[in-house]
Amino acid sequence: MIRVEGIHKYFGTLHVLRGISLNVAKGEAVVVIGPSGSGKSTLLRCINLLVEPDEGRVFIEDTQVNRPEVRREWVREQVGMVFQSFNLFTHLTAMQNVMLGLTQVKGIPKDEAAAKARQLLARVGLAVKENSYPAELSGGQQQRVAIARALAMDPKAMLFDEPTSALDPEYIREVLDVMTALAREGMTMIVVTHEMGFASNVASRILFVDAGVVIEEGTPEEVFHHPKQERTRSFVGKILR
Amino acid sequence: MVLKEVCDALVPQTAPFSFMIETKAAGHGDRPGPTERHRVRLVTRTTALRGAEVAAGVVFTLLFFQEFLQFSLFDPYLWAIYGPIFLAGLNGTVRYILLVIPISVVLGFFLGWARISRHRTLVWPVTMFIDFFRGMPPLILVIFAFLFGDNLIPQAIKDRLLSGIPLRVVSVTAAALAIAFHSAAYQAEIFRAGFQSVPKGQLEAAQALGMRSWQAMRFVVLPQTFRLSLPPLGNELAVVIKDTSLLAAVAGGEIVSRSQNFAGTLSIFGYPVEWLFAIWTAVAIAYFVATFSVTRILLVLERRFHTPGLEAVSI
Repeated sequence: MIRVEGIHKYFGTLHVLRGISLNVAKGEAVVVIGPSGSGKSTLLRCINLLVEPDEGRVFIEDTQVNRPEVRREWVREQVGMVFQSFNLFTHLTAMQNVMLGLTQVKGIPKDEAAAKARQLLARVGLAVKENSYPAELSGGQQQRVAIARALAMDPKAMLFDEPTSALDPEYIREVLDVMTALAREGMTMIVVTHEMGFASNVASRILFVDAGVVIEEGTPEEVFHHPKQERTRSFVGKILR
Repeated sequence: MVLKEVCDALVPQTAPFSFMIETKAAGHGDRPGPTERHRVRLVTRTTALRGAEVAAGVVFTLLFFQEFLQFSLFDPYLWAIYGPIFLAGLNGTVRYILLVIPISVVLGFFLGWARISRHRTLVWPVTMFIDFFRGMPPLILVIFAFLFGDNLIPQAIKDRLLSGIPLRVVSVTAAALAIAFHSAAYQAEIFRAGFQSVPKGQLEAAQALGMRSWQAMRFVVLPQTFRLSLPPLGNELAVVIKDTSLLAAVAGGEIVSRSQNFAGTLSIFGYPVEWLFAIWTAVAIAYFVATFSVTRILLVLERRFHTPGLEAVSI
């Protein structure tokens, strides 16, 4: 479904990704963990080409997408993204946030888009908040709207960039519940998170990334409880405690 | 106090100005609680009271001057002579305002946009334009444009488009454009700040949905820039309205130059010298009404497009 082959990324002289490879099958949920600054976010952004990899290849369903002749907008339509800071459009209501991509990118008529947006907001449990502006919603509600907004585009896969890191503890649960449901329905997902409970329950595989390379890869049981590498052990020790 | 009672009666229980008052209950969809509502009501009453005080102050000041300086703002004889001059001047001023405001806003907007462009070749000439026009006193700009503006227009355009138009009109229009450019330089900075206050994540989210860059601009960035720029824009428009009075330096035919000419003839024709006060008070009131209405219109717009979470500091 999503395949990344040996990608490198430099920001100036900073070598952020040093040849990362990753293969995610259809319906799989992969969790990426690692210390801050290890390149996890950059890895996600390289997949939907918000960041252009300097070397290596990115495939979506066996199509190499980081080629000049592939439209970036098309790639991003295929892969939904949820951000750490929600990034809901401040000037639009929850409903309009979900509708904007439908009407502008997909060219769906307004009433159809509205019906779909209502259905998606109901799915994330926010039917009653359709006319609220982002500033009137709690962090957890904003993040659920952001998930609905990404799902509206009918993506083939979803990328989650630390979706609960900016949330107050009491709102983390509701967002993780939506993500868990999504994974159970068979959505292909790559999730950068430090929520170990979520990772253990939902992830088919855990990827430990440090300093721009994959240090260790395995099932949650393997990575969390029997890590092979010393660096994994020390990192897992810090976050599990 | 009687005045306070009148105000209390006039101010409805739901505060009409409450949108102007920063409420503590922002975010999370809370409605203001009883304490907050009480505070808003208090502040609203105080605001209304102040408005009434200012109005009363103006009336008292006028009466005071009327009494002691014997100036005759309401003298029918004065208005019989000065009235047509005042109206012609007002007409001229309004025309200049209607010329200068749209040009400066449109130009300022695009300059502000160009200023943050990724294309370096666009940035530096725009920056030079802004620095130049911001650094020049508008009066000097008006004089220069009047004297040399005509020379800057290519001969071909003059032959084709401006053939029947007298040189004076061309020069005065050039002077008005100088004011528009001066203000555009300031507005460019207002819009640039507006653009830059839209967080980068907004653009990123739009791109992540698969929007093309013009769509992200049109549907996500611009609407927010517009809302964030309104309050400082109102401030700048009030300034540019008053700056049109500088066209008096080149006898632009607006209210100040016409009134100046008339005031200069008072002693020649033996009119009372006290008329001087009346004339300039009338001019001052005209400018006040013009700036006040424009800032009010902007305030209405601000209120109309008000969005929670997108409040800019109002000046």
